Amino acid sequence: MSAVIRVEGVSRWFGSVVAVSDVTFDVMPGITGLLGPNGAGKTTLLRMMTGLAAASRGSVTMFGQPVRDNPALYRRLGVMSEHETVYGFMQGREFVRMMGRLRGVADLDAAVDRAIAFVDLADAQHRPMDTYSRGMRQRMRLAATLVHDPEVLILDEPLNGADPRQRVHFKRLLQQLAGEGRTIVLSSHILEEVEQLADTVLLIVNGKLAASGGFRAIRAALNQRPYHVRVLCDAPRQLAAEVVRLRSVDAVHVDPDGAVIVLSKNVLDLQIELPRLAQSSRIRLRRVEPLDDSLESVFGYLVEQ
Amino acid sequence: MTETVARTEDALDYGAASGTVFDIGYQRYAGRREGRGRSRVAVFKDGFRTALGFGRGARAKVLPWFFIGVLSAIGLVMAIVAGAANRLGGPGTAERAGLPSHSDFYSFASIILFVFAAVVAPELLCPDRRNRVISLYLVRPLSGSDYILSRWAAFLVVMLAAVWLPQFILFFGLSMGDPDPVAYLRAHWLDIPRFLASGAAMAAYTTTLAMLTASFTTRRAYASVFLVGLFIITAPFTVGLAEEIKGPAGPWVSMFNLTNIPVHVNDVIFGEASEITEDAPARTLGSAMLVAWYFLWTLGPGAVLWWRYRRLSP
Amino acid sequence: MGSVYRLTLRQLTGKWRLAIMTVLAALPVTIAMIMLASSDAPSVGEFEAAILSAMLSGSIAPLVVLAIAAAAFGNEIEDKTLANLTLAPIPRWQIALPKLLATITIAAPFIAASAFATSHVAFLGDARATMAVTVSALVGVALYASAFVWLGLVSAQAIGIGLLYIVLWEGFFSGFVSGVRLLSIRHYAIALMHGLDDRRFAASHHLSFGIAIALSGLVFGGFLLLSVRRLRRMDVP
Repeated sequence: MSAVIRVEGVSRWFGSVVAVSDVTFDVMPGITGLLGPNGAGKTTLLRMMTGLAAASRGSVTMFGQPVRDNPALYRRLGVMSEHETVYGFMQGREFVRMMGRLRGVADLDAAVDRAIAFVDLADAQHRPMDTYSRGMRQRMRLAATLVHDPEVLILDEPLNGADPRQRVHFKRLLQQLAGEGRTIVLSSHILEEVEQLADTVLLIVNGKLAASGGFRAIRAALNQRPYHVRVLCDAPRQLAAEVVRLRSVDAVHVDPDGAVIVLSKNVLDLQIELPRLAQSSRIRLRRVEPLDDSLESVFGYLVEQ
Repeated sequence: MTETVARTEDALDYGAASGTVFDIGYQRYAGRREGRGRSRVAVFKDGFRTALGFGRGARAKVLPWFFIGVLSAIGLVMAIVAGAANRLGGPGTAERAGLPSHSDFYSFASIILFVFAAVVAPELLCPDRRNRVISLYLVRPLSGSDYILSRWAAFLVVMLAAVWLPQFILFFGLSMGDPDPVAYLRAHWLDIPRFLASGAAMAAYTTTLAMLTASFTTRRAYASVFLVGLFIITAPFTVGLAEEIKGPAGPWVSMFNLTNIPVHVNDVIFGEASEITEDAPARTLGSAMLVAWYFLWTLGPGAVLWWRYRRLSP
Repeated sequence: MGSVYRLTLRQLTGKWRLAIMTVLAALPVTIAMIMLASSDAPSVGEFEAAILSAMLSGSIAPLVVLAIAAAAFGNEIEDKTLANLTLAPIPRWQIALPKLLATITIAAPFIAASAFATSHVAFLGDARATMAVTVSALVGVALYASAFVWLGLVSAQAIGIGLLYIVLWEGFFSGFVSGVRLLSIRHYAIALMHGLDDRRFAASHHLSFGIAIALSGLVFGGFLLLSVRRLRRMDVP
């Protein structure tokens, strides 16, 4: 099965700030979650995937065509950005209708009815949108995104500001849409959302793709890699000798400058055992730091407790 | 990690398996708290920086500095022309020939100053209301009147720089262009307080009107266009009308030429009419009336502006 | 295209704006009537200079059009709603053109009515002169609209730049640098007026009629093309 969206070697910089750095991945049908801390480059990447922004380098193609400067593609693509981009003076129904008409939807009224029923806003559809609550605006925007029945949906932080009940409803909607064979890419900085929804996860940290693939597979992969931890103490060789006995430690070596480098696949246990060991051997620890900097954030996100 | 090390150190010291937890979570600010004056100064500084585009990238600086550049250039050109005339015809030629000098500067530059104010003043007031940031200001020990006073003062300072700098350049140029600069200085030193006062009058008027207009809308664009419209449309309208209406009403119609109000004050200060206001029927009403009119059109809008902001609450 | 057109009409009209435009449109008419009612009728030259040139085409028309045209795209960009339009499977010119047409639809009636009434009153019902003034005012509106719609799309400082253009370039420099007149919309409109009715408006040092027409077409089409190009290449907020 060929990829629906293909992102190849994409970078984007603004002056001297690199927002997205050499990212490559394919998106298949189903729900793909784009996960990462705030400021990681998720929005920039999504905007490049929708053709709203240009890539400084690399290419983005959808159904084999470039997304940039290709308006015809928008017949098959629905986009919901993170901003509240509605016209407050319009009624909800009018807005969805206008979006439908712009996208050349046949049998417009029926499509609008369907979209509004799908987001459960039929009673509020005749009110101006500046009287809506935030959650209602989000849902009406989703209706506008769905009115032309797109095969691909790209949603930037769609659950932003949604209350728990709306989150549940929204998730069910998305799962239903995915079940119909659509391709959905959604971005979030909240772990649980992505965990519950996405089949595939793309983790972006500092503009780079730090991990991609199935959620559980990433966790397993992480567990296969030992972490490097650097320890400074007042008796390195003695510490090294003691530490290598710990079950959580895979290997140990001592640096020329006297630092002890510990390789461990189970840093959680190491965090508890190391100080205990130091205390019982009367070794003073001066500094303990992980060397796999980029993975620290990955670590914090993907491993619970 | 820090906690781990601390715990270990502590445990080692006492040799027992005990531990201490250090509360390094959220701490309230326990330092000195400044008062209302400090808030006012902060709003002032922020207004000043916004007007001149500091801290907002190169593009924000283009327009304000362009205006200041154009104004300074006008002063420079005037100085050069006068200097050339003096060189060709001997000292004093420029004055005798009636070439434009300090007293005429504001009549030339007034429209540029108005456009400058129209474009920049809304930046200080409109975005705060549009993005509803003004509530954040008002929950501090800062009242609505503090806010508007600070903003007004900030823009006034910028306008004063814009009106005084070119005059200083002109004065400097004229005195340097004279074969005996010290004599020039001694003969013309009265020009300095005159143009300072006249410039201040122009700055205060422009600042107040510009800010009042900006206080009526949240989109900067509409405020700017309305203000410029106010100036450049009333000018020919009142001029045309005043010429047609004979009798006592004529000068009064001319008084409503908003571009000329501060220029009349300039004339009163310098004691002579500038080129643009020479023919204005309003001049027949006398200096006292012109100055009073100026104060009405500066203090009146100022009062309305203050009142509008005074009753704002977060 | 109809959707974008109607949307823009809704976005740019409003009670206050319409009221202000009505007042502005009425100003030149008022003056003309007063001028006529008072002493002897002013000479064509005087009237043209003060009212038509300075007021109508020099300040009222460009300012009104600037306020509306710069907002056509400017407001969308500021409110971040432009993506609603660009994410539609329509060619970009079907976004730019309706925006431009909507701008002209709003501004033109006021300016045209003002020009018509003013010249009708001042020229004592002379049909040809009235038509000349009205047509040239409309052309002026179209040209300013095209230029300022593009400016609103391209720059966040559109109003400042537009005001500088109107006040400094057209108001100040074109008064004594003749080359500037080749690049001044106001002077195209004036030249057209002269060309349409040369008995009354004697052609003096203005542009020739033919060149003015050509330049007008160039400016209108050129800025429209630039707007389309910009829509295709910009990063939409």
